[in-house]
Amino acid sequence: MSNRIPSALAWTGAGLTLLIAALVPFLLINTFSRAVAHAGLRVDENYTGGVVVRTIAHGNYKTLVYQPVHPHFFQRNQPFVQIAFEPISALPAEVQEKVDLDGDGQPDVLVHFLRPDTAQNAVQGNISALNSRYQSVENANEKSFSKMILRIGNRIVLRVPMNP
Amino acid sequence: MAEEKLTPHTATPFRTVGRSALLTLPMLLWSLLIFTPVLRQHDTAHSLGTLLVILFTNFLFFKMMRTGKTYRWRRYFFVAVGLLFPVGFISSLLALRGSMSIPIERMVSGDTPFCFMVTPMLLIPAALTRTLIFPGAILPTESNPHSIAAMIGLWFAMTLVMGKAWCSYGCFFGGIEEGFASLCKRPHIRKIDSRFRLVPWAVLLLVVLLSAALFEPFYCSWLCPFKAVTEFSAVHSVETAIQTGIFILLFAALVVILPLLTKKRTQCAFFCPFGAFQSLFNKINLFEIRVDRERCVECSACLTACPTMAITPESLREGKTELNCMKCGACVDVCRKGAAVWHLKGTRIGMKPERVRLFFLFGAWALSTMFGGYILSNAIATLIHFLPLR
Amino acid sequence: MLAATSLRILAPMGEALLLGLTTGPVCLASCGPVVVPWMLARPQQMRTQIRDLLCFLAARLAGYMLFAFGAWWMGTEITSLFAPRAWTIGGIQILLALSLLFFSVGWPRLHCHAKKTNAQLVQIDERKKHSGAISLGFLTGINFCPPFLVASVRAAQLEQLPAALLFFLCFFVGTVVWFAPYLFLGFIKRSQACVQVARIAAILLACWYGIVGASTLIVRIFHG
Repeated sequence: MSNRIPSALAWTGAGLTLLIAALVPFLLINTFSRAVAHAGLRVDENYTGGVVVRTIAHGNYKTLVYQPVHPHFFQRNQPFVQIAFEPISALPAEVQEKVDLDGDGQPDVLVHFLRPDTAQNAVQGNISALNSRYQSVENANEKSFSKMILRIGNRIVLRVPMNP
Repeated sequence: MAEEKLTPHTATPFRTVGRSALLTLPMLLWSLLIFTPVLRQHDTAHSLGTLLVILFTNFLFFKMMRTGKTYRWRRYFFVAVGLLFPVGFISSLLALRGSMSIPIERMVSGDTPFCFMVTPMLLIPAALTRTLIFPGAILPTESNPHSIAAMIGLWFAMTLVMGKAWCSYGCFFGGIEEGFASLCKRPHIRKIDSRFRLVPWAVLLLVVLLSAALFEPFYCSWLCPFKAVTEFSAVHSVETAIQTGIFILLFAALVVILPLLTKKRTQCAFFCPFGAFQSLFNKINLFEIRVDRERCVECSACLTACPTMAITPESLREGKTELNCMKCGACVDVCRKGAAVWHLKGTRIGMKPERVRLFFLFGAWALSTMFGGYILSNAIATLIHFLPLR
Repeated sequence: MLAATSLRILAPMGEALLLGLTTGPVCLASCGPVVVPWMLARPQQMRTQIRDLLCFLAARLAGYMLFAFGAWWMGTEITSLFAPRAWTIGGIQILLALSLLFFSVGWPRLHCHAKKTNAQLVQIDERKKHSGAISLGFLTGINFCPPFLVASVRAAQLEQLPAALLFFLCFFVGTVVWFAPYLFLGFIKRSQACVQVARIAAILLACWYGIVGASTLIVRIFHG
């Protein structure tokens, strides 16, 4: 008798396992995915570039200025500020714009780039720092998470490194 | 041959064709249910690939029922998935961007498909800062259906059912080295110290701590040997050159050469930190393999057969397998005395082992068909597209 | 007058304590890879573990104080103190690798074909008596972790040396609070398997620190 209860529970568990297996593709994957998605987690800003704090409208296109991203813990990347120009189709052939990154009303960097003709062409451009808090980016081909001038999807994304 | 009435301590019997087909029928219906949307929507190549997968997986399951053996038929499917996964994956990379190296644009845009091996490394940074240290998207997008939430959801659901059996029914990386391990007839290196099984735990401890400190997926950056068959960062510095050298060396040694020489899954047994993490789920999973000490004659056939050295002389004396048992069934199939048996926790050892095996297999095979079958059909469709049929 | 003087002295100390408390998780995470394998690898009693951890923290404090003195003496930002910063960082990482290797595992002898009486895969050198707390603590203390650099910049702005040292002491106390969880490592049942896992992890970590330190020095040598 003492062996029957654990045994019964074990076989019930085995049956439930089969039921769970049957529910996996129809219910459980979505349930667990939604649970992860609603857990209040976010992808590291070092990858995403952070959140937009200011949008500057220029008629057909806009300039997005992001919040500064600082390294977590022992992350080996420099702090940076991301700027994006979108949509690419609405950009003039050459963009030269002074951008205020810290919201104090004073321009902090001068952004200059040529709109790429095709999706495969690299973006030619540079970023000149007008403020000692930021670093210039001269070589458009140099890419790191804290320093880039790239086409990503329908946007031109630039990251301006900050002095630590 | 009629099925014998099962009593404790009975060796797994053969089944008749009829009974085997009857047991295979639910699996056939399951695979039709899972793959019907694919059959309806996709092109001819995908439909053909899917049909082949349905036939293949159900044939293997039929053989499992017919012969009463598990390991050999599981291995055919598992190795097929392991070898064909890179075909589909690499072809899609080459078609999309002409290279296996990951451009930084892909990481910034969140288009990196999530790999389940990152899971243990996410935990501490997520707990401390609510941040996921992986360059992917949390929710699926058109360009990245393998989002973080979707893949974690899939992995967790499958792990609930299988436990560590994920490593022998789900993980496509393991299929690659199992393929190499099965090439030679006899091992050339026979004596391996079983205490090297502790290394995956050490690697797990290391990657979890360093990922938290450096705030990056350390295993992916520095150690993962399977970058050789998926994607990797381009070499642009001394550090990335060292990282590239390390993963090539590890792939060659642990995935190709040592499995060939030892006929063991050396990467899984002696290195993989995700396997160590997955072993923890064996604690809560109901299915396990046990050894009936009354029937065991200590011939050590199970020790030799186990691909990950999950049975040691010490564990054999206690009548159980180690925590890293993948439930592949190799030891059960090779045991001539019927001592190594499938067991349900909470029941007596040797009680209805075939029924336990069936309960386990229906769940594990159903999910591996869903997961691995999808990979196989994609790869077959890719190969068909390459054929000069037109 | 007295209140103003007190405030002038206490305000930076409060600031340092708060800085240490808020950046504590960074210290927990950054020292974790060194502390956890090192403590787990040594099968000792709880009292010895606590003593070792306190020695580690004291040596870490000594590293901090040395840095505070340097920052105050130079009177400038610590980031520009070391023009040959790569040499320093690379050197520290290699020393840390060697220390971790020596004090966690001794000079390991891997037993591939072990004798039946030998229970351990990685044997510790029994002749060695020192726990390594001082070396490891000091080396982690002079590591260039970001909150440490922020604290050093602030300390460098203080006019008097005792104020700078006191600032770092308060910063240190703030971070030490976060080391309390490591005391619970002593409660983990120390099976042979656990000890072996920790020692293997220490070897792998030492290899990584060695590789990173060496690559930092290589870049410095060839690229300037």
